[in-house]
Amino acid sequence: MEPEESHKIALKINGHVHTVEIDSNWTLNDVLRNRLDLTGTKRACDYGGCGSCTVLMDGVDVYSCSILAVEAQEKEITTIEGLGNSESLHPLQKSFALSYAAQCGWCTPGMILSAKALLDRNPNPTEAEVRMALSGVLCRCTGYTSIIQAVLEAGRVMRGER
Amino acid sequence: MSAELLTVGQSVPPIYGIEKATGALRFPADINLPNMLWMKILRSPHAHARIVDVDATAAEKMPGVAAVITHKDVPHVLFGPYQNEIYPLDEEIRFVGDTVAAVAAKDWNVAEEAIRVIRVTYEVLPAVHDPESGVRQDAPAAVLHYPESHEIKPGDIRPDQLGTLGNVIGLKEGGPTVVNQRGDVKQGFAESDVVVERVFRQSEVNAVSHEPRACVAVYENDTCTLWCSVQDPYRLQDSTARVLGLPMEAVRVVSTNLGGAFGVKVTGRFAVLCALLARKTGRPVKIWFTREEESLDSHNRSALTHYVKAGAKKDGSLMALNVRTFLDNGYWPYGGLGQNIAFAICTRPIDLYHRCPNVKWEVFAVRTNRPSTGPYRGRADAESHFPIESVMDELAYAIQMDPIDFRLKNRLHEGDDLCSAPNKIMSTVWLEEATRAGAEKIGWQRRSEFPAETQGARKKGMGMAMVIHSCGSNPAGISEAEVTIDAAGRISLFSGTADQGSEQQTTLRQMVAEVLGVALDDVGGCNADTSTCPFDSGPFSSRTVYATGIAASRAAEEVKKRLLEHAANSLNEVVAALDIGKKTVWVRANPSKRIDLGQLARLAGGSISGKGIHNAKEDRLFAYGFAAAFAEVEVDVETGEVKILRLVSSHDVGRAINPMIVEGQILGGAAQGLGYALTEGFYFDQRTGTALNQWFLDLRTPSILDIPDIEPVMVELGEPTHPFGAKGCSEISYVGVAPAVANAIYNATGARVTELPMTPDVILKALHDAQRSGA
Repeated sequence: MEPEESHKIALKINGHVHTVEIDSNWTLNDVLRNRLDLTGTKRACDYGGCGSCTVLMDGVDVYSCSILAVEAQEKEITTIEGLGNSESLHPLQKSFALSYAAQCGWCTPGMILSAKALLDRNPNPTEAEVRMALSGVLCRCTGYTSIIQAVLEAGRVMRGER
Repeated sequence: MSAELLTVGQSVPPIYGIEKATGALRFPADINLPNMLWMKILRSPHAHARIVDVDATAAEKMPGVAAVITHKDVPHVLFGPYQNEIYPLDEEIRFVGDTVAAVAAKDWNVAEEAIRVIRVTYEVLPAVHDPESGVRQDAPAAVLHYPESHEIKPGDIRPDQLGTLGNVIGLKEGGPTVVNQRGDVKQGFAESDVVVERVFRQSEVNAVSHEPRACVAVYENDTCTLWCSVQDPYRLQDSTARVLGLPMEAVRVVSTNLGGAFGVKVTGRFAVLCALLARKTGRPVKIWFTREEESLDSHNRSALTHYVKAGAKKDGSLMALNVRTFLDNGYWPYGGLGQNIAFAICTRPIDLYHRCPNVKWEVFAVRTNRPSTGPYRGRADAESHFPIESVMDELAYAIQMDPIDFRLKNRLHEGDDLCSAPNKIMSTVWLEEATRAGAEKIGWQRRSEFPAETQGARKKGMGMAMVIHSCGSNPAGISEAEVTIDAAGRISLFSGTADQGSEQQTTLRQMVAEVLGVALDDVGGCNADTSTCPFDSGPFSSRTVYATGIAASRAAEEVKKRLLEHAANSLNEVVAALDIGKKTVWVRANPSKRIDLGQLARLAGGSISGKGIHNAKEDRLFAYGFAAAFAEVEVDVETGEVKILRLVSSHDVGRAINPMIVEGQILGGAAQGLGYALTEGFYFDQRTGTALNQWFLDLRTPSILDIPDIEPVMVELGEPTHPFGAKGCSEISYVGVAPAVANAIYNATGARVTELPMTPDVILKALHDAQRSGA
């Protein structure tokens, strides 16, 4: 049997179900950016090397460029747009925005989502744990110090210490 | 002065911060339009070739393909990022990855399939793969066909000397591209007590901006709009207009925000081809590079070889410096972006060591069949400081003088003339202050304790490097800015500079707010849109806060003057009796007599605006940024691994308009510099010219696990040529890291590392060489 070239799939993204018709080789990143106009999810490398395309899939930080759209069916996908917006910022978004932890802003959505996955499983991480958890996302601008501080600060806010 | 300032000097949050943290900010790659086509480029598999025939029939017939263009279809018009010296497509192919043809199709998959069925017949030509062999008499020509004419744009340096003799860029009569010479080096070496000689090799590096370049082009009613990842929107506007045969005003380029640029995102073929395809198809066209394309079709820091000889007297006088540098200039027929780099390489370090009486520095910028090299962060100074600061260190050790004292004894002073900026006089030099502050921060005197602390194979050491770099007064740069007050009393700043992550618009608006006495939130505006913003050469040479900052402050002053004049008229007072602030003008002696800015704008006919301009050519005083980098390292002499224990980056910033942003730039630059020092290199097969590590992780930029907490130091002693005393400093922290680490490795082990990046194998070889020469 010939494999199907196109599929009609349903994806649950940021709490909403989207039905899209796509080619077999479309990645989750392709669908988010080019079909659903959720362009907060970036791409910098094409193959799971940079982390700027990171989204949450059932709460786990994954590279959306390395997941076929068809694989993402029946999963809960969260993108940066689903985390908060300018009216209601997530504490991570707020701490990144206020502290210049987002310089060019390209890695920022991936960093924030990776940090969210960390804080959800470990609400009070050490600096070393932050470094380890975010090591799958690269940043070319900051030298990382401001990012680590922003994650620790958001953790304090989320624990109610601020 | 500082007590009265409202926002200058404050770490206010960056204006684009929330949009970046919510993903709401639209970069060029994030623009999706109805009916949009996707473009792909067919790239050359050969380093040097002539296209004998190209057959695109199969691609054109493929379902979903809207258009194909080859060199036969494009206007025969020259354009370029520096001078107008390349065609949109050419018969001659000059590097592996060079642009051969382009396709527009319904999506990226179809476009990708279509470029694969374009049949090209190449005549493969001999190629030049490295600069040193490229200068030989028997070397093949890296460029066979030169455009009959090439236009130098106004404002650029050294227009008259370009020739096509051999592969060396520059002089028509042959010889090096640039020579910087004074005194007599032979005499200088004869008078020296110690002379050192070294050969330094630095790998090519890619900027690895995380945003791969994108362009979206729309062509309708004989106008063209481009949203494009470029730092030079006005040059792209000019290039697109000439290629499309449109007047300048019919082309609009928007490059408001870029996902990192670092100097290399300049006008290129991808953007003008995107415009041509939009015209041909009548539909919006989008191109978004893959990482491979972003690596190949960019402008890398050149691979370099420096032959250095330097001499000093025992009293610490630097007597002579003789350097011969070979620089890989890539494929440009007339030098592209490289020739000015050659000039800066051999002049800036000589200005830094102004007291050295005898100098001869030749730079050979060589045409090769390699990707372009160009202005990447720390341009020219990252290229030159590794050899110079290593040799200064070696001389200091040889005469048993503290490396800091030796450097400072020979340094540049305020009021000195400059060989890097002819006819200019040096403005402030807070170099000694920055160096001493950095030394204190790291505890320079602790160096003497290290031998006692050393255990087994792990050796501790500390080293430093001193740095000069542009702080914004690029002699070729022009910045304009406009400030307007509208009928609603809104204040807007219009500036031509893209924000590539430095958040300069925040800093510029702080300056405007300060001049007008309003809160930062009261100032809005737009940037890097050629249809609404006045001209700016672009965010290069760390020039925005300095040059555009001067223009923006002048524009705000102009508006303030007009506001006061209108207020004096309407309040029946003299200007001198008025005060301005909080979006109102009032009578000082009677503050209840007042008028707000919106009213004034309405009285003036709806709006009041002022323009400011900065043209560095007009200034006699020239500003530079200065810095010192300090590294404390631990070297494992068995494995060759280096651990960075501490890194201090100390800067003459003039004055920090927004300390949080300045600090962020210092940290980010130093982190990139650490990549240059230890891990990054962009390598090519020496026989075929094919890139070997063009993919993201293979370029080995530092991860969060590789960078220590870098310690910034800001020395704020002002700069009189800037209204708020600021110097740009987004690049300079990159420059000193590699030599500081190399000097720390020497301090720890006694081995001089003369190659970048300093990977473990390079360090082991240096240790081996040191042992052999010591034995």
